[in-house]
Amino acid sequence: MIDFGYSLTPSSTIEIDDADMSLFDELCAVEPDAIKCMSCGSCAASCTAGVFTDLNLRKVLLGLQRGCEEDVLPQLKSCMLCGKCHIVCPRGINTRHLILSICKIYNI
Amino acid sequence: MMRERFISGYDHFVLPFMVGMIFVLLWCIIGVIKIMVQLERKDRIKVYKSLVNPVIMGKNVRDWFGDCLFHVKLWRRNKVLGYMHSSIAFGWFMLIVIGHIETFLYIPERGGLFYYPIFFRYFMAVESTTLKGSLLFFLMDFFLLVVLSGIILAIIKRFRSKLMGMRRTTKLTLLDRVGLYSLWAIFPLRLIAEGFTAGVGGGSFLTVPVNWLFASILSKPENFTIAWWAYSIALGTFMIVLPYTRYMHIPAEFFLIPLKNAGIKVRRPRKGYALAELYSCPSCGVCLDACPMSVDKAGLKNTTVYYIRQVKRRNQPRALAIADKCLMCGKCSVLCPINISAIDLRLALRKQQPYNIEHDFSYLDKIPNEALTSAISVGGEKVLYYSGCMSSLTPMVSQSVQKVLTTAGIDFTLMDEQGTICCGRPLLLSGRTEEAKALIEKNEQIIKESGAPILLVSCAICYRIFKEDYDLNGVQVMHYTEYFEQLAAEGVIKLRKQEKLKYVYHDPCELGRGCGIYEAPRKALARVANLVPAAKERKESICCGGSLGSLTLTHEERGRITENSIRNLTANSPDRIVTACPLCMKTFSRQSEIKVVDFAQVIAENLVEKEKEE
Amino acid sequence: MKRNVLIIGGGPAGMEAARRIRDYGHTPILIEKESRLGGHLAKWHKLFPEGESTEELLTSLTADMEGINYFTDTNIVSINKLKNLYVAIFSNGISVQADAILFATGFSMFPAEKKEEYGYGIYNHVITNADLEHFFNTGKDPRIKEPKVIGFVHCVGSRDEKAGNRQCSKVCCATALKQACEMKELYPDATIYCFYMDLRMFGRKYEDLYLNAQRKYGILFVRGRVSEVSEDIDGRLVVKAEDTLVGKPIRITMDLLVLMAGMSPCVENPKIASMTGVHIGEDGFFMPRDLLYRSVESHSKGIFFAGAATGPKTIPETLNEARAAAMAIDHYFKQKA
Repeated sequence: MIDFGYSLTPSSTIEIDDADMSLFDELCAVEPDAIKCMSCGSCAASCTAGVFTDLNLRKVLLGLQRGCEEDVLPQLKSCMLCGKCHIVCPRGINTRHLILSICKIYNI
Repeated sequence: MMRERFISGYDHFVLPFMVGMIFVLLWCIIGVIKIMVQLERKDRIKVYKSLVNPVIMGKNVRDWFGDCLFHVKLWRRNKVLGYMHSSIAFGWFMLIVIGHIETFLYIPERGGLFYYPIFFRYFMAVESTTLKGSLLFFLMDFFLLVVLSGIILAIIKRFRSKLMGMRRTTKLTLLDRVGLYSLWAIFPLRLIAEGFTAGVGGGSFLTVPVNWLFASILSKPENFTIAWWAYSIALGTFMIVLPYTRYMHIPAEFFLIPLKNAGIKVRRPRKGYALAELYSCPSCGVCLDACPMSVDKAGLKNTTVYYIRQVKRRNQPRALAIADKCLMCGKCSVLCPINISAIDLRLALRKQQPYNIEHDFSYLDKIPNEALTSAISVGGEKVLYYSGCMSSLTPMVSQSVQKVLTTAGIDFTLMDEQGTICCGRPLLLSGRTEEAKALIEKNEQIIKESGAPILLVSCAICYRIFKEDYDLNGVQVMHYTEYFEQLAAEGVIKLRKQEKLKYVYHDPCELGRGCGIYEAPRKALARVANLVPAAKERKESICCGGSLGSLTLTHEERGRITENSIRNLTANSPDRIVTACPLCMKTFSRQSEIKVVDFAQVIAENLVEKEKEE
Repeated sequence: MKRNVLIIGGGPAGMEAARRIRDYGHTPILIEKESRLGGHLAKWHKLFPEGESTEELLTSLTADMEGINYFTDTNIVSINKLKNLYVAIFSNGISVQADAILFATGFSMFPAEKKEEYGYGIYNHVITNADLEHFFNTGKDPRIKEPKVIGFVHCVGSRDEKAGNRQCSKVCCATALKQACEMKELYPDATIYCFYMDLRMFGRKYEDLYLNAQRKYGILFVRGRVSEVSEDIDGRLVVKAEDTLVGKPIRITMDLLVLMAGMSPCVENPKIASMTGVHIGEDGFFMPRDLLYRSVESHSKGIFFAGAATGPKTIPETLNEARAAAMAIDHYFKQKA
């Protein structure tokens, strides 16, 4: 790209082309369920910690798939790993392992 | 009377034995020092103190004899296997002891030589028979026969394990095989060697006939040194490979017992107490049949015996994969002849995993307790009922509990009416012990502040952590099975019995093996229906497959475990499956064709209301 | 030569196929486990997309039953293959020789009490789609009491691995909208929510139904699966879901919750399959020889399928399949002769 010496206001568009998905690929390798979500929201609705904080596993997963990890990862800090999301997930996603794997692979 | 045959008291054939003996002794001494150094300071002091405590020492001696020599636990499970193990262990032990007695009686100046008591009959010649001498010789032959009978059973077991009541046995490593074959060889070779010398060195009912036999078929039976060489080489080989085989459990268990009785627990995955446990595993394979994951053939490799093998080999990725897969149901530990703390070993490894995103539960402190519950400072005789996070998915459970309490006229308050703070057990089971403390502290605070004398819990998982890891200043934690049985026994609630119905009770892992509650739910259920047994129950109950313990089992793998567990429960064709854990209920009801109900529901359905009674 | 065709299941598929088979000149023998013909259809009040009357449809289906032998309250006891024939024994003691068998066994309603978190059978104001149709037919249901806020939960036991049904039941989205509109007509002041994961309005006029529900009836849509339901002190239902489009958990207090119980494979499928050797798919529905070209033929000679026995279907699809199966059976006989 030509450098004009100035920049435009940062766009709110997610530039998928520029997203680095290598960590997400790594995540899928250890927990293939990471791409099974159909965004029904059951996990977020039943979340024990979600009653008190903004934790929303559906959003975290979607954020990771779009390369916006900085925006969503801090949510996971309040997870109590109680496993309710695992019980309610209609796709049978192993959410607890998914969360633990994200915590191992990603960095904030 | 006896005399020494050789002035030197030595022959070259003892060398293989001596090399092996010294090697093993050094190995064990270094191992013991290593483990002691690796123990935490407070644990080490605990061990030293236990060694001068007569009560614990008494227990040590009892366990040494009971577990290492007589294999009492194995006897209880399987008589043939019990006999096989104790005949070899105790028989061998007695051969060594009597060998030493002989040496010290007849030739005390040789008492300092390791090999003398072992090869006693080679070095001694009988001059005249005495009662004491023939008695000792008789005993030696008798115990040799005992050991040989055990060896024969061991050989049968290796090739036909089903005859011994074991469905599966472990795969042996190459060195395990060397150890096994040399162990098999030792005693027949001893019989042959002593048979050759029985003419000179004396013998009894076993060795003397062997001597006659040799004398009749061989021209020069005196030419027997080669047999003693073979015997010594077998012993030497066995001891050289010992540290690298499963037979290391023989010396390791002797050391593990005092550590265990001193109350030491696993803290690190392969150091200190864990190391003692790793070497104490006899690879017997009891955990193969015990493990619920064994319903899949592929699941066999995730059992404790293979976990231990991978940790010993320092295969970190494999060990971690196994550790993460485990349901933490604890069945292998309970059935294990040496009760290896399989869960703790795996948890220690899970704990070591590095995480880049750390949990932050500071938000819990900002939640005012009043916002969660109206239970603040209830005091008096009130019961505080913690229904747990799962109860919103199994509304029948909390509803039934509340119905029973109301009918019984008990004043109670729901602790987590407006949102649950998780009990912390799931974090603990994921190896995140430190993080769990934040949740524990918050809940402790709410419970203590309520002033209620009894904390009632309807989830087996929560119950276990409340019992084990909470400090509640004397608040009595009760599982609803215990509490309702108490209410029924005291006549506070009256129940009607449905004579025609057959129920089977599933022991949830956390409640049964975890907290030892087996009888209270059964007694209460027997008041309302006829209880039929499951094929395997109580401490042998099979995990429902839904356990929070496993981090990596897939939905499908869990499904097969559940199916097997249901099959086990329905062996006596019950009308209903009753369980006392919301997670078991959720898991079973997905797959069971028979209705699955919670304990509380069964009790609530059969309450005789007081007004109706009058 | 006249041939016997045994038809198992007297729902729309079985009834339509029976008439067509008779028209081809064969002898249909129809058995139905319930006490009347019509299957699940007979329990419904009106149908989507345009509120067509079930009564009328049933009347057309049963108008001309001449030459059709049918038995109600009858089950299959056994089926045995004899060379080119099947010998079936019924629970009423009758046995027949059939040259071909048509499985029109349909589906079983997903038992909504299996999703305990929704509280069916536990709370006072939770009903299913079938219960609501019964209410439309009879005007009676103690659980429905002048509701002010009503919720419809889509996909109860559908698209749910935990419930053992991965498949979409296909008809519930449109049924929910149809029922929501009917409720709005009965209770004009009520606020009605539909909780959906994806609205599958695939058929002709279905999108109009959707538009009508929005514009004419003011039905509100929440994209999110209900995760749990509880009861407050007044006995009203507290429904929790995530509004996934807003991205926040929501809580609504309601007076009535209608669960759209989906289609599960007919519970008798495994038994019938073991008698005849037809294939059952991983999802529990019968497996035709091929899903595109031979969707009414089984892997066993002389055995055919029609309707929801091979997966969730709408009424017109079921009726068309029944006709296709009749044609395939006739073709099979002609080839044999």
